[in-house]
Amino acid sequence: MSFIWEGVRKAVELLAEGNSEVLYVLGVTMRVAVFATLLALLVGLPLGLALGLGRFRGRRLGLALVNAGLALPPVVVGLVVALFLFRGAPLGGLEIIYTVEGIVLAQAILAFPIVAAFTASAVEAVPPALFDQARALGASRLQLAALALREARIGVIGATIAAFGSAVSEVGAVVLVGGNIHGQTQTLASAVLTEVAKGEYGAGIAFGILLLGLILICAGALTLFQHGGGGRERAVPRPGWRAS
Amino acid sequence: MSAAATTVAAAEPAALVARGLAVRRGRREVLAGVDLELRRGEVTAILGPNGAGKSTLLAALAGLVPLSAGTLERRGRLASAGQEAALARRSVRANVELALAWWGTPRGARRARAEAALAALGIDGLADRAAATLSGGEARRAHLARVLAVAPDVMLLDEPFAGLDPSVRSELLYAVSDLLRDPARATCLVVHDRAEAWALADRVVVLLSGRVVAAGPPAQVFEQPPSPEAARFLGFSGELAGGEGVLMLRPGQVTLDPAGPLLGTVARRILFEDGVRLEVEAEGGRVFAVAPPPGPEPGERVRLRAEGGVRFPR
Repeated sequence: MSFIWEGVRKAVELLAEGNSEVLYVLGVTMRVAVFATLLALLVGLPLGLALGLGRFRGRRLGLALVNAGLALPPVVVGLVVALFLFRGAPLGGLEIIYTVEGIVLAQAILAFPIVAAFTASAVEAVPPALFDQARALGASRLQLAALALREARIGVIGATIAAFGSAVSEVGAVVLVGGNIHGQTQTLASAVLTEVAKGEYGAGIAFGILLLGLILICAGALTLFQHGGGGRERAVPRPGWRAS
Repeated sequence: MSAAATTVAAAEPAALVARGLAVRRGRREVLAGVDLELRRGEVTAILGPNGAGKSTLLAALAGLVPLSAGTLERRGRLASAGQEAALARRSVRANVELALAWWGTPRGARRARAEAALAALGIDGLADRAAATLSGGEARRAHLARVLAVAPDVMLLDEPFAGLDPSVRSELLYAVSDLLRDPARATCLVVHDRAEAWALADRVVVLLSGRVVAAGPPAQVFEQPPSPEAARFLGFSGELAGGEGVLMLRPGQVTLDPAGPLLGTVARRILFEDGVRLEVEAEGGRVFAVAPPPGPEPGERVRLRAEGGVRFPR
């Protein structure tokens, strides 16, 4: 138990003194999480919308694949991305192995199936009659997509929170693609791993506490956005009314 | 009436012309040989039992289902309203403005047209309410406001009054009866019963098993159906076989009369709020009659008089 107290004390100390190394790690973590989430949204939202709204062959297969993507093992993704990014490998020319950009790529690959799968299921939960009506009145594809995102916004922002959570706290791909280089590509999560490996449990817990704090703040902010406007629209059930 | 209609027809071609329309679902033919013309300024009601293909016909007219045969010719833009009043999770006004945006109405014109459509349907007071908080009847009005606001050349409505309480239903029927008829627009709606067709339509099309069995002005179709099967569907439930054919009668056309020419035995008696309905085994067939309560007991011999009805040759 003393470890935990030591960790808490150390975390407060590190933050209070404005330790530049810690702030750097915090910065890398935020950069990775924000850019990986944005990249995941860029790919995952259109894919999720297509899978949720579309009526094409292979739609079920696509849904099965993104759902399987929810369980992608970070270590395996990290390994495959690293193999592609090594010098001399197909994407070696990008020269982003052992860089923050490389980590962003790996984390985005892990996070986009989360966005796609959750967006698809949120869109599927919107009454199809609404989309039929929009089509009947001449809505364009872009207008349909906007309608779907707006109607399913709670699920879509939930998908964003989940993607951010994955990008901020995964460690396997970070270590394999980024190399966990202290002062360069180390994130809060991989710093925990390093400190624990050194036997510095107190410092490990300190980084862990910082990571949890970051997650709480970001998830909290996104949740406020998700339920924006405060009050919740509620349908008033009335006797004698039935949906046909 | 028919002379005027002919003049209009000569002046302007119909907004939507369907010829020999057929639709298949797998091997089953759900629609066959449907001819239909929707003219501007006219309201056409499609009437038929469940499974007759009414909604399929509407979808086919909207171009939403592939035709296995026939042609569709349309002048102008078409808008349809589905059976379900599915509204977006926004205010009522925003829902109508959204519909105008889908239709392609310029942004600047949307607000005024939305307000006008809401006022026409009597729900301008609900404009700022969240759509999710509307009652069934209010949601249906908002749903219709969306389609009316875009001012299409052809408007198709699939059972606009389905699933509503009888009182809400008649209120809405009253509210829209004038709105539906617009000289610039051809309107076609699927309705559930004859009363709705009477109240709203200039022309009635009766669909049975995917085929048009009667078409024309309501008075003509309802009083002189062209075939026994159309008559049966339109409420001519009594049938009397005579020498030269069969006489089909509505319950209201058969009354108890001690001096009546028909003799029969009461088989069943059912109570209605406006009287009793009697099923009578008469010479030549079974008829239904209306009588003031309590009416004769089952098994009693009664004399009847029939007035009107339609006669079909054997």
